[in-house]
Amino acid sequence: MPRLSDSMEEGTILKWLKASGEEVARGEEIVEIETDKANMTYESDADGSLEIVAQEGATLPIGAVIARVGGEAAPADGAPAAAQVEAEAPAEAEAPAEAEAPTAAEAPPEAEAPAPEPARPAAAGADGERVKASPVARRLARERGVDLAGIQGSGPGGRIVKADVEAAGAAPAAAAPASGPGGSGKGETQVVELSKLQQVIARRMAESKATVPEFTLTSEIDMEACVALRGELKALEHDPVPSYNDMVVKACALALREYPRANGAYKDGRFELYSRVNVGVAVAATDALVVPTIFDADAKALGQIAAEARTLAGRVRDGKITPPELSGGTFTVSNLGMFGVTDFVAVINPPQAAILAVGALAPKAVVRDGALVARHTMSVTLTCDHRILYGADAAQFLARIRALLEHPLALVV
Amino acid sequence: MSAAVSAPPPATDAIDAAMRRELYERMVLIRVFETEAERQYKAARIGGYCHLSSGQEAATVGAVHALQTDDVLVTGYRSHGFALARGVPPEAVMAELFGRADGCAHGRGGSMHLLDVGRGYYGGWGIVAGQLPVATGLALALVRQGRPQAVLCELGDGAVNMGAWHESLNLAALWKLPIVYLVINNEYGMGTPVGRASAEPELYRRAASYRMHGERVDGDDLDAAIEASARLLRAAREQRQPAVLELMTYRYRGHSVADAGLAYRTKEEIAEHLARDPLVRVRTQLRGDGVTDEQLDAIDATAEQRIAAAVSFATESPEPRVDQLAAGMHAAGSAEQFARMRPGSAYGEEPLTFDAGLGA
Amino acid sequence: MSATAKQAEAPAAAGATEVMTYREALRMALREELARDERVFLMGEEVGTFEGAYKVSAGLLDEFGPDRVRDTPIAEEGFVGAGVGAAMLGERPVVEIMTINFLLVAMDQVINHAAKIGAMFGGQVRCPLVIRTPNGAGNQLTAQHSQSFDGWFAGTPGLKVLAPATPADAKGLLKAAIRDDDPVLVIENLPIYKEKGPVPLDPEHVVPIGLAAVAREGSDLTVVSHSYATVRALHVAEQLAGEGVSVEVVDLRSLRPLDMETVAASVSKTGRAVCVEEGWPSYGVTAELAARIQKACFDDLDAPIERVGMAEVPLPYAKNLELAAMPNEERLAGAIRATLGLAA
Repeated sequence: MPRLSDSMEEGTILKWLKASGEEVARGEEIVEIETDKANMTYESDADGSLEIVAQEGATLPIGAVIARVGGEAAPADGAPAAAQVEAEAPAEAEAPAEAEAPTAAEAPPEAEAPAPEPARPAAAGADGERVKASPVARRLARERGVDLAGIQGSGPGGRIVKADVEAAGAAPAAAAPASGPGGSGKGETQVVELSKLQQVIARRMAESKATVPEFTLTSEIDMEACVALRGELKALEHDPVPSYNDMVVKACALALREYPRANGAYKDGRFELYSRVNVGVAVAATDALVVPTIFDADAKALGQIAAEARTLAGRVRDGKITPPELSGGTFTVSNLGMFGVTDFVAVINPPQAAILAVGALAPKAVVRDGALVARHTMSVTLTCDHRILYGADAAQFLARIRALLEHPLALVV
Repeated sequence: MSAAVSAPPPATDAIDAAMRRELYERMVLIRVFETEAERQYKAARIGGYCHLSSGQEAATVGAVHALQTDDVLVTGYRSHGFALARGVPPEAVMAELFGRADGCAHGRGGSMHLLDVGRGYYGGWGIVAGQLPVATGLALALVRQGRPQAVLCELGDGAVNMGAWHESLNLAALWKLPIVYLVINNEYGMGTPVGRASAEPELYRRAASYRMHGERVDGDDLDAAIEASARLLRAAREQRQPAVLELMTYRYRGHSVADAGLAYRTKEEIAEHLARDPLVRVRTQLRGDGVTDEQLDAIDATAEQRIAAAVSFATESPEPRVDQLAAGMHAAGSAEQFARMRPGSAYGEEPLTFDAGLGA
Repeated sequence: MSATAKQAEAPAAAGATEVMTYREALRMALREELARDERVFLMGEEVGTFEGAYKVSAGLLDEFGPDRVRDTPIAEEGFVGAGVGAAMLGERPVVEIMTINFLLVAMDQVINHAAKIGAMFGGQVRCPLVIRTPNGAGNQLTAQHSQSFDGWFAGTPGLKVLAPATPADAKGLLKAAIRDDDPVLVIENLPIYKEKGPVPLDPEHVVPIGLAAVAREGSDLTVVSHSYATVRALHVAEQLAGEGVSVEVVDLRSLRPLDMETVAASVSKTGRAVCVEEGWPSYGVTAELAARIQKACFDDLDAPIERVGMAEVPLPYAKNLELAAMPNEERLAGAIRATLGLAA
């Protein structure tokens, strides 16, 4: 099982694109694999005849053998493959374990490969390092569906201890009723297994609500100028015509550049302040929610942002989004305005400092120069991690976003 | 061959012809048993160590004959002959050697750890001289309990160089305990002759260090062995005089079945001793008493049949139950004491000990 | 004799206690058992006329005479073995070994004989022997006289090993040992003899074998200890309570049988364990505890199991070196703090 994302621990074989016995060439797509972040296509890195080991639907840890190509295990990325082949030998030969053991033990040196990477333990950090967590912390995390990788340990040497998991306090997984027929009074219960992506969303959102001391600020933005700008761009047959959301992204990007704390993260008892401004845009996908990233949004023209956002949304819909396109965000914009939602509070995508929830743009009666007039307005709500972004700073940051949107020339120059 | 330090108590014990015939039967039984034990050992039906005493029958039977019913016997590990001489059925001894449930130690002891508490036999012990302090304590208990009995503690010639020998004899003399330390001197401690192991090779003389009576007697002479044993045991019982009795004898076989017994002595030496075989000597006496060769052969044949029956018995006896592995280790009531020890115990420990008759 | 019996019966006010030293509590147990059962007798070096090297048996020779309080020559192998033999015939010998260091010369009798009798002879003969002896270090007694071997004996099937930490348990467990039908080693401790505490005057105060005690309740961490280490642990727990740390102390009382149920329940509650012993930790009581705790409480552990014991050197003479080597309270407190992730 190849490692296809930074936080991947295991993967599920979705579909074999080649059959056992078929000749495959190096670089040829052979299998689709579902990781914790996305569905990935994996290409053969060797020429030869394909021998499928893991069937479709199988979920395997990184390093497990899924197939062999030309007699090699695929992925043929050196040591793990060689070791995996040998490790399997006794079972295949159906010989007594005692008789086979010495052979297996001697095998790795013969392969002249570096020590094989051990099978990845249950909890591994985002950087691939084993997460240090006490046994009880692991048990609690398991029971409550908490991802240890996202928890900052407070124990000796950064070990995650029981109290840390309790603080992360997600709803116990056991709370999902395992109700049989007639059991709950709720009729028949259809139990749906979560996809990898859904599991990640569940964990990260629960972790966010449990660990981030958040506060929210709401502001009404006069969008008349943006409406006018968009009308002009449309008239110029600009393709694609930037959406209001694209303008919000650009405004946020510019404001983030001015407010480094908002473009940072509270992590391990320190602030991390990022040099790049990468704005994630929450996009609804089939049965899921993903946040593709527009990198360096502060430096990109509004038109470029519009083009990228469209491309990314398309890839999400087609299920072709790749992990690199989903990571690296330093801030998130979530927009439910298209559903008529006037305002809402979004959940921070940890470890980001803030998320902006964007409501519907609509004409509204407002007082201007002492007179009641109709103006296009839009409500935005900023959710902030108080550990890094304090009230006044956040208010100024939000005011800057509003100013940029109310005077949108700055977005296009 | 007889020598003594300090004045021996007066001799009074002698056996009649009927008793000699009975003791001969016992000696033959031991010889046949040991021969069969060697055969069964080599057939892999007996495991562990197996120390045979062929050649030592007169000393063994003579000393044990001098014991009263309530006296206490303790021996080292060359114990088949003593068990049989004390009346432990050969079936129970052979079954023990076979590691079976009907063995006299329930299959827990084997060749070295025979016993029969009902017959006052408190064990077969496997550590050279380790039984001496224990036997000394048994004698102390007899005194404390006001019982007019004595302990006969057998040891080999090799044991006298252990510290336990010294400590035990000192305590016995100091506390005036009713015990006779019976040194079965068969000339070799394993493969080392007495002269190469003991600076004072006349072992009985060591008793003098404790102002204790010591005496050496020809152990292959049944009458002499009985006489000396009876006399010293009586002194122990009646006057709380401990003593050392050194019975000179010879073992025909190696230290154990695994030892051919020829690395440290010659075939000629063994043949020389065989010519003075204690069985032959008693047989000659019995002929003089008027017992016919047919009768003597019948005794031998009876012994053969009895031992064959013992082998059958041992073969038929069930193996001890694994689910009773821990039985006997602790006194009744101990299971409750150990009940709280289960959490975290080693793999498989619970069925093997906690659930296997511990405290039963 | 009759005077003693009266003495034992006299204070029988139910539940009455008297504050006394550990040493006096042991003496009370011996006196009561000598009076209760004719089969009980004491044996050891200097137990009679000298009244015991540590005065545990003071006054007992006068009271019970030289047959019941028997002085021996310096011959541990001999008189421990004599205790084994006497016990096999139903006597109840209580053998005092001046310090556990001298028990080494009687190891053959303890391990190869006493411990084997029950099992090796198919349960047909028992050995109700008691050996009591002090462990430990602390008085500049130096390498040959400053050792703790409780783990050696507690690891031997066939023996029972008790290690009381309080005067009340010293009385109750010694009496339990004397009344038990198996060989029992009662491990005392040199510095503990002077410790004081309330002791039930009831001559039937017998503490069950195989039952640990929660000597102090707490919620943050469990210290598992026995004998003098429990005394240290209670001091440290009190000290740390002042710092807001809640330490539970489980006093094993019995090393074999070992009450793992009480240990596991406590560690599962607190999630952390520090095991402490007076002896060397390698292959010791704390090693055994750590192995069992990790298995019994694996999913409840919030920190690695920590151990504290004597520094693994033959104990030197110089006072400062001796103090540094012992499992002193400072080191125990340090281990607790480290396990809790607190600054030392």
